[in-house]
Amino acid sequence: MKTLIIVKEKDYDWLRPIFPGIHPLLVPICNKPFIEFLIDFAILAGSDALRLVSDGPLSDVEEYCDNGIRWGIPISYGSFLSSDDMELIMEKNHRYCSGERILSMNGFLFIKYDKQHAYRELFAARPEGEILSCSKGSLSLTGTSGETTSCDETLPLSLLELDSLDVYYRLSMEILSFSESPYVIPGYSIEPYCHIGRNVVISKSAEIIKPVIIGNNVQIMAGSIIGPEAVIGSNVIIDRESTVKRSIVFENTYIGEHLEVQNRIAAGNILIEPESGISITMDDPHLLTGIKSSRSTERLIQSLVHRVLALLIITVQLVPFLLLWPILKIQGRWKKSINSYYTNEEGKTLLLTTTAIERKGAISLVAAALSLDRFSLLFSVLSGRLAIIGSGPIAANADKSAAFHEMESWYKAAVFSYAEAEEWPVSGSEKAIVERYFAVHGNPLLDIAMTIKAFLNLIHEIPAP
Amino acid sequence: MIINEKVVNNITTINLWGTLDASTAPTLRNFKSDAQPASPIVINMADVDFLDSSGLGALVGFAKEKRGAGGDVLLACMNNKVRKVFEITQVYRLFAIYDDVEAATLNAEKKQTSL
Amino acid sequence: MTFHVDTSTGKTLGIVDLSGRLDAANSSDLLKTFAQWQQQTNLFIFNCAKLDLIDSSGLGAIVSCLRKALERNGELKLSGLSPKVSMVFELTKASKLFSIFPDTGSAIQSF
Repeated sequence: MKTLIIVKEKDYDWLRPIFPGIHPLLVPICNKPFIEFLIDFAILAGSDALRLVSDGPLSDVEEYCDNGIRWGIPISYGSFLSSDDMELIMEKNHRYCSGERILSMNGFLFIKYDKQHAYRELFAARPEGEILSCSKGSLSLTGTSGETTSCDETLPLSLLELDSLDVYYRLSMEILSFSESPYVIPGYSIEPYCHIGRNVVISKSAEIIKPVIIGNNVQIMAGSIIGPEAVIGSNVIIDRESTVKRSIVFENTYIGEHLEVQNRIAAGNILIEPESGISITMDDPHLLTGIKSSRSTERLIQSLVHRVLALLIITVQLVPFLLLWPILKIQGRWKKSINSYYTNEEGKTLLLTTTAIERKGAISLVAAALSLDRFSLLFSVLSGRLAIIGSGPIAANADKSAAFHEMESWYKAAVFSYAEAEEWPVSGSEKAIVERYFAVHGNPLLDIAMTIKAFLNLIHEIPAP
Repeated sequence: MIINEKVVNNITTINLWGTLDASTAPTLRNFKSDAQPASPIVINMADVDFLDSSGLGALVGFAKEKRGAGGDVLLACMNNKVRKVFEITQVYRLFAIYDDVEAATLNAEKKQTSL
Repeated sequence: MTFHVDTSTGKTLGIVDLSGRLDAANSSDLLKTFAQWQQQTNLFIFNCAKLDLIDSSGLGAIVSCLRKALERNGELKLSGLSPKVSMVFELTKASKLFSIFPDTGSAIQSF
């Protein structure tokens, strides 16, 4: 039997703004990414292969799950279009499905099961058809196994639609309430109602009240009380005299001293009240912050390379700039404007002075060809505020903000854009394609080549009249 | 990059063989298909082992032209490397992608007859 | 922030309307100005209806104002806390120090 998991973007999009930067399928439920519960169930039900398809991006999930070797089941991935119906989706996965019994998990649903049941046998005996369904999805079987018998027995299973934060929160609290978990929960369970990970340092005067689930590399400082009903993710620090009760703390979070986190979800510097969905972003590092993991050497080398490139281009442009700029200024063809643009740091904007050269007359054409209009921006690269090559800086307008949030993870505000280097159209959706490509495949050497290409392309560019 | 065109059940299938990169992208860009402009065609990617941004550009450009003329381009049998490029660049949103050439051809036929 | 005196209940109440953000940048101003207001009365209501954001310095300032009021046998009550600001009060347990009312009217009546 093979499993096909079909997840539609519109069913999980509600989670995106709540936990930005985490793919909804990877959102942790009791410290275990949601997709893992589905993988566990697929294996329990007797699958020997799994395919995950979506009309939304799956690269984060693919990076996490890889080829499934961690679970001993081959995992493959695919995509479909939002307008496709079930029939078409099955046809797009025809090769995967043909000749096999397929267990389809359709929808952004949590499957409530108990690992102690013999689902393999139950599913093998089950005839083709829908097993369970709800308004937002279903679980069904297609194809016959050798041993199908007619079966009216209801399987010890139920579906839970994950469509609000409240549902997510109550599910997590419910899982905590089992003395012996029906699911495989990460961590060591020395006693019932308690799962604790590795390298957990609990101060002598701190108190842990069951039920709790604690991840890896967690520090609980003096006088703190964790629980009852607390889920603490990995790499979390709970500072002195604080209490965490009936709450979920996501990984990489710092909770300050003398605080009371009760009936809340704390994810980095975001604090949420689950029942109402009210969320606040804390700017105060004494209260709540995210602990950032660093990819420092990579970034260091890259920023170094960018600065060197900027310096090189400045040296090349310096003399022409000093000669041509005064002339263009007098001719009135040197137009400066100050605008605020989005930067690589979350939510921060940058005030940049951009220049446009009116292309009239030989001097202005030469200046444009040498990209002298970018001269002033190069200094921002030296100060580290811009990259030399990346995405063209996007103006921080209210109407553009929605489109921007979609791009945030790979956006790198820069003087030159990959689109210019590759001679792609410099606007519209196609620009995004090439920028996304290089955001992932980029490396310092490639950036050097691309910057030179962009610079040369602009020299050869025939300016529009 | 070798391009080979076949007609099966009234549907043109274009088989690509090799890598689609900066050096081979022009081959695809300049390729003139014998199929009717307003017809759906299937591109079989089974033997495309590598694709970069220029290759992607050529494919997107090819599809744009086809769609502009009233036709369509369906893709089949991408390997993992190629599929990942479609994933990160989000180009998967622009194409109907199948894991099997026959299924793609069948659907292309359905499209053709419904026109 | 604005300050006015209300005598509708026969008692002299100082009503402070806070607005915008109360954070490290302006919390010391609040403390300084509070000392001046204490010359007029010792019963205060901080109306937080227009308060968008507060951080630990802002909270520290309000708690200091409470202490100063209590030192002179006065009182400081809060009204109109938005859900977001309430969450910060609850997180820091500051909510246990104050009498909190949904609006200024009910706060005035409570004196």
